[in-house]
Amino acid sequence: MKRGRYVISALLAVLWMVPLRAQEPGRVRGRVVDDATKQPLAAATVTIGSRAAQTGTDGLFVLAMPAGSDSLRVRLLGYAPVVQAVTVEAGQTLVVPDIGMTQQAVGLSEIVVVGYGQQTAGDITGAVKQLSVEDFNVGNIPTPQALIQGKIAGVEVVDNNEVGGGLSVRIRGATSVNASSDPLYVVDGMPVGGTNAGGGMSTNGRDPLNFINPNDIESITVLKDASAAAIYGANAANGVVIITTKSKRAGAGAGQGATIEYSGSFSAASAVKFENILSAAQFRAAVQAQDTAALKYLGSANTDWFDQVSRTGYGQEHNVTVSGAGPTSGYRLSFGLYNQKGVIQTLSQQRMSLGFNYDQRLFSDRLDVRTAIKGSRTIDGFDPGGIVGSAAQFAPTQPVYDTSSATGFYDWPGNVLTATNNPLEIANLAQSQATSLRSLGNIQADYQLPYIQGLKASVNVGYDLTSITNQYFAPANLDAQQKNGAFGSWFRGSNYQLNTVGEGYLNYAAPLNVVPGRIDVTAGYSYTTLHAEFPGVSLDSLSNSLGFNSTGNFRQSTARPQMSVVDSKLISFFGRVNYNLNDRYLVAASLRRDGSSRFATTNAWGNFPSVSVAWRISSESFMQDLNRMASISDLKLRAAWATTGNQSFQDYLQYTTFQVSDAQSSVQFGNSFVPTLRPSVINTAIKWESTKSWNLGIDFGIMNQRISGALDWYVKNTSDLIFTVPIVSGTNMSNLLTENIGNMRNTGLELAVSAQILRGGANGLGWTADFTVSHNANKLTHISANGAYTVRAGPTIQGGVGQYIEINMAGQPINSFYVYQQKYRNGKPIYAPADSLLNAYVDQNHDGIINSADLRPYHDPAPKWILTHTSNLTFRHFDLSLSLRAWLGNYVYNNVAAANGYYGRFTDGQYPVNLDADVLKTGFLTTQKFSDYYVQDGSFLRLDNVALGYNFTYRGSQMRLFAAVQNVLTITGYRGVDPTAGINGVDNNIFPRMRTVTGGLSVKL
Amino acid sequence: MNLRAFKGPAAAAALFFLAAAGCTDTTVAPKSTVSDANVFANPGAYQEFLAKVYAGFAATGQQGPAGSADLAGFDEGFSQYVRLYFELQELPTEEAMIAWGGDGDLADLNRFVWSSSNGYSSIFYSRVFYAVSLANAFLFQTTDDKLDSRGVSATLKAQIHTYRAEARFLRAFAYWNALDLFGNVPIITTVSNATPPQVTRDSVYRFVVNELNAVKDSLPASTASNYGRATTQAAHMLLAELYLNAGVYTGTQNYAGALTEASEVIGSGAFTLASNYFKNFTADNGTSPEIIFPITEDGVHTRNYGSTTFIIHAECGNTLDGSTIGIPGQCWWGLRLKPQADTFYYQTTADHPAGDLRATALYRTGQTLAISDPFNFGQGTLLLKYSNKTSTGANGSDPYFVDTDFPVFRLAEAYLIYAEANLRGGGGSAVTALGYINALRDRAYGNATGEITVGQLTLPFILNERGRELIWEAHRRTDLIRFGQFGGAATYNWDWKGGNQAGAAVAAYYNLYPLPASQLAAAGGQYTQNTGY
Repeated sequence: MKRGRYVISALLAVLWMVPLRAQEPGRVRGRVVDDATKQPLAAATVTIGSRAAQTGTDGLFVLAMPAGSDSLRVRLLGYAPVVQAVTVEAGQTLVVPDIGMTQQAVGLSEIVVVGYGQQTAGDITGAVKQLSVEDFNVGNIPTPQALIQGKIAGVEVVDNNEVGGGLSVRIRGATSVNASSDPLYVVDGMPVGGTNAGGGMSTNGRDPLNFINPNDIESITVLKDASAAAIYGANAANGVVIITTKSKRAGAGAGQGATIEYSGSFSAASAVKFENILSAAQFRAAVQAQDTAALKYLGSANTDWFDQVSRTGYGQEHNVTVSGAGPTSGYRLSFGLYNQKGVIQTLSQQRMSLGFNYDQRLFSDRLDVRTAIKGSRTIDGFDPGGIVGSAAQFAPTQPVYDTSSATGFYDWPGNVLTATNNPLEIANLAQSQATSLRSLGNIQADYQLPYIQGLKASVNVGYDLTSITNQYFAPANLDAQQKNGAFGSWFRGSNYQLNTVGEGYLNYAAPLNVVPGRIDVTAGYSYTTLHAEFPGVSLDSLSNSLGFNSTGNFRQSTARPQMSVVDSKLISFFGRVNYNLNDRYLVAASLRRDGSSRFATTNAWGNFPSVSVAWRISSESFMQDLNRMASISDLKLRAAWATTGNQSFQDYLQYTTFQVSDAQSSVQFGNSFVPTLRPSVINTAIKWESTKSWNLGIDFGIMNQRISGALDWYVKNTSDLIFTVPIVSGTNMSNLLTENIGNMRNTGLELAVSAQILRGGANGLGWTADFTVSHNANKLTHISANGAYTVRAGPTIQGGVGQYIEINMAGQPINSFYVYQQKYRNGKPIYAPADSLLNAYVDQNHDGIINSADLRPYHDPAPKWILTHTSNLTFRHFDLSLSLRAWLGNYVYNNVAAANGYYGRFTDGQYPVNLDADVLKTGFLTTQKFSDYYVQDGSFLRLDNVALGYNFTYRGSQMRLFAAVQNVLTITGYRGVDPTAGINGVDNNIFPRMRTVTGGLSVKL
Repeated sequence: MNLRAFKGPAAAAALFFLAAAGCTDTTVAPKSTVSDANVFANPGAYQEFLAKVYAGFAATGQQGPAGSADLAGFDEGFSQYVRLYFELQELPTEEAMIAWGGDGDLADLNRFVWSSSNGYSSIFYSRVFYAVSLANAFLFQTTDDKLDSRGVSATLKAQIHTYRAEARFLRAFAYWNALDLFGNVPIITTVSNATPPQVTRDSVYRFVVNELNAVKDSLPASTASNYGRATTQAAHMLLAELYLNAGVYTGTQNYAGALTEASEVIGSGAFTLASNYFKNFTADNGTSPEIIFPITEDGVHTRNYGSTTFIIHAECGNTLDGSTIGIPGQCWWGLRLKPQADTFYYQTTADHPAGDLRATALYRTGQTLAISDPFNFGQGTLLLKYSNKTSTGANGSDPYFVDTDFPVFRLAEAYLIYAEANLRGGGGSAVTALGYINALRDRAYGNATGEITVGQLTLPFILNERGRELIWEAHRRTDLIRFGQFGGAATYNWDWKGGNQAGAAVAAYYNLYPLPASQLAAAGGQYTQNTGY
């Protein structure tokens, strides 16, 4: 009962500070806890007679009562009510023992972290989903977002198959064209801002949030609908992801001493699939048949280049944490090591991370100061030059090595530009690496103000510091360097970003006797600044082969220094009111006013309101009979409306700036060269993009929440899209201008069901299953007044240099593919040479000519339906989980097949390149138009993850052995490497997907 | 502990909220870039700004060779002025065929099947008007009022007056391309977001002529020290081009004007024919005495993937490795001649006997004459006209980015204009005309065997001779239109004209490129598309 003593002394301390007054009635103090876990319960309603109070996050309550005896009642949604008798004398304060409550409807009482506060799940009026440690994906998880991949309805997490890889998260579809469509991330109360989602600067292809050790994460909350997100105003249009790291709160397990935990794992990854290209024998036959001029270049080797450039990606991960708590303080320290090699040579990530959370209570618990500091160093190894693409194209008849070459690797003779680079030479000699240091820290102080009960002031001050050193080196003797005329290249960029946040807010949870029902008001102010610097220097024509880490003495002919500095700030006022009447009628309203430096002063400020209501029908008296008959434990209707904003795009658009050219882009005047000064494009009218959303939802639970779920319908209308569109040429200093033009709509349905199918108990088989179904339909409703705008979009594709394959067009989903319609004969695409294209493609405008006027929008990369399933099975000491995911209606442009799928490719350069095996099917002789033949259905069903665990106790310590396989199996009709070919739906020699097997152990001492 | 303990945090919280509420200024001005408020504090900025107006024709952005593009939404290298101008002027004609089928709708130009959404004609339109807006921005920032308000010295002010004339010449030059290729375009002379009204081709023509007449005498005369700059002679030459094509542009011919302007250029004495024809196309062509107005390129200082870098890389491949033109191994396998252009040189007729040295640029080894597959670089004769080797055989300063300037106007063309204008009734002397033509022929043959008689100097001869002399100098489309051989009724069809190998007539509306579909949309219905598209 050591802990009890601490609690009591803390209570006494509080008591001592309350000014005493004569003739006071008695008081009752106590703490409400979960009977099973002994954890404090917040927001429980405690009533004595007509007086009522609510417990704080520490579960504590204080309630005045007239002297005498009465009944103390405690109510909390999801728990069985408790009644006990209390007797108090005048002026006396009675301290009751901890009141334990028994869970009745699991889930409803869970505390969910929301913007600037927390709520019990059952009280939430918007579409919010929180996942905690036990829900997370298991295995080799490099980034936080990967923890929730395939877990939440309406949340699409797309990775790029790289280690530590760049993840794109789309919550209920994309809402913007040229501003970001990634959500806002809030880490331990710190909004991590900046134009990149994840706040920090990204290193190419890697995720800016991978600096957070996933092992340190306690919970991830996704604010899906705008009413929940609107408290973040201008940054909330794409939804909000709140990441809360593990901490030890003051008083939690006080006096038990420090807890030390270790977990470690080893993993091995292999490539699931490579692009299907011609084998050496097929290649030989094709050259013999199609390009006799190239016969002389056929070697005798049989090289599998994919086999050469790939490897088993070994990885290991170790985490050590120490945590402990005293009566007024708590701490958690963590250290993590993560080391993973990619399945393609040169790809790697090494991360060392530290986390420190500290909680201190002062002034007899009135002041609670929490600090969270995270820091990491990540070393990323990148592909220094198109290794996968070169492996796909290098003739399989040529050898890997050549003792007579300058590098020891075989290269096509003569430094011919069009010759494919030897991918192994590049992998071994060139190097591209980044060292990223990032630290995020904040101090949050919550202070219960005296005199007014329920009034709390909070101050949150934090920083987010990123420093990335990017370095690239390719020696002069590399064939690729000889060919491209760089003759040895070296680049170093040292990017730096500092983001600071200062926030203050007041929260007033009115005591119950002030107004009927429960009211909770929050109002605050936030000031965010962002400063980024991008200095860099690149050198080429290195006079000798220097190493990657050579310092100094670059006898270069060409040096290019670069420098830019970007500053921005965001100033916000916000407020929110939550009102709960009898747990039946719930209302929440919020307003945020944001001022951003990205906009001219006339447009700098925007207002973002939200209103949401919920009606818990199941709590109505007329439902009680039905509840009993149908075992309904929860039934709640929700409706919400909100406006949110988006400002994630470039700075300074409202200013005319002048940019000086570098020394390689000057102009000859007589015998001298003059650098040039370019005025920038300017838009002084640029303003917020705003998204107005509606959300209707039903939360339901039956059999005491044994089966529970939610069904949501939403519509999101984005207006004033930040959209870069063509302008009347000559009216501004470029051909395109970023304007507020156009509207976009996302509509969707989401269903999530959780079922505890088998309860198991201590020795039986337990089985819980989760299902989600989500559907989103996106449409650009209009772009300009006359709707005639079309803007080419998406990534540029290979093969056709600088060509776009996607379009933004009114009436179509964003990034729709824009292609010719292929004609077929006997199921095969018709091949036609250049002068009979009418035979091969549909003449959409019937003008007798096949030209760009015959392109048409055709499908888009976003999945229309996402289905997920997770099962967790437990049996005695074993647990098994598996997660399945299916996408339907997503399309991919297979540019590997399009760019290399014709025999004429042999004559595009001196040396024949290997072809995509698709050519065996089509027999295409010459290059074909960008057609829908290559827009392929990317629907798939994937067994993402299977994990098995065994829990046991060894010498008094809890231990767990686990093993997991990720990317177990994919069933798809897509013919390329991976149907989730990045968020853009263009398969341009993407990295192969990794299948990872992980085994590990965790120990709790 | 006592009550005082509360005051600290409470006061701090109160202070924080008060301070916070006062902090509502959202302004953050750019720091690392110069703004229009301070840029002209440096007197050198005027010359650098003028340099950008020139760079609109030569470079693609602020970082060489690529990385900070002027135009967005299109590959930077593809967006270079000369590269696009060359493609639009040459690819539809018999002079060129590009083998890059994967490059979207570029190949549509080979075969006369372009539409108003063609990326290449659209981005060229943007490039032309970008040059216009750069000139307008320069003129806006250099009015006397503005210069006086900044306290610019009298010397610099006088200098800036010349700069302004140059900027107006460059704007007129861009407008010439606009009216030649697109016809009915808006005239924009100010810096404004308002949609400018579309005007007729005739109005654009008059605007350009008036501008050139207004500035020609304010421009400096051509000297070696202002090589690359706009000069009086360049203005006369541009007027000659305008007058020569006045019948096409306005319906009213002005061959007398063309002859007068050509005579001005010839008579200035500033230029002489280079003794070797190819001296105009080498890495050191900046020292050719013949070039009136070039768009300069340099392997070290002006790097991009357009202009002559594009032509020189694209003109080789297959059995050539590029060494002979100073870019070893760097061939792009792109440009060849359609068979009729090969015929210019190899056809032996009375007015074109064997021995034309200009034909030594043709390269047929490993190439077929006919092109049945436009995307097979092995088909079609190559033309090694441009080179990154100097006239003495040395390599250019960089083995990838070439030093070769693009000769926009050169004296030889002034001779050809004089002769053609004379033949078409523009006055002048037939004897002088013949003398000019034979001067070109003497150079082409290295002796007098190529000279023609006055009877052989006919308009069909001029069209052929312009083909031989000016091939790949971006004149061909304009010439064929003037001679009635492009769109509409024509007696001359070349391979792939009209979309197929045999060649067929095409509709007259192809004599203009369409206004880009994006412009029609951006103008919100205020612009009318060229007839036929």
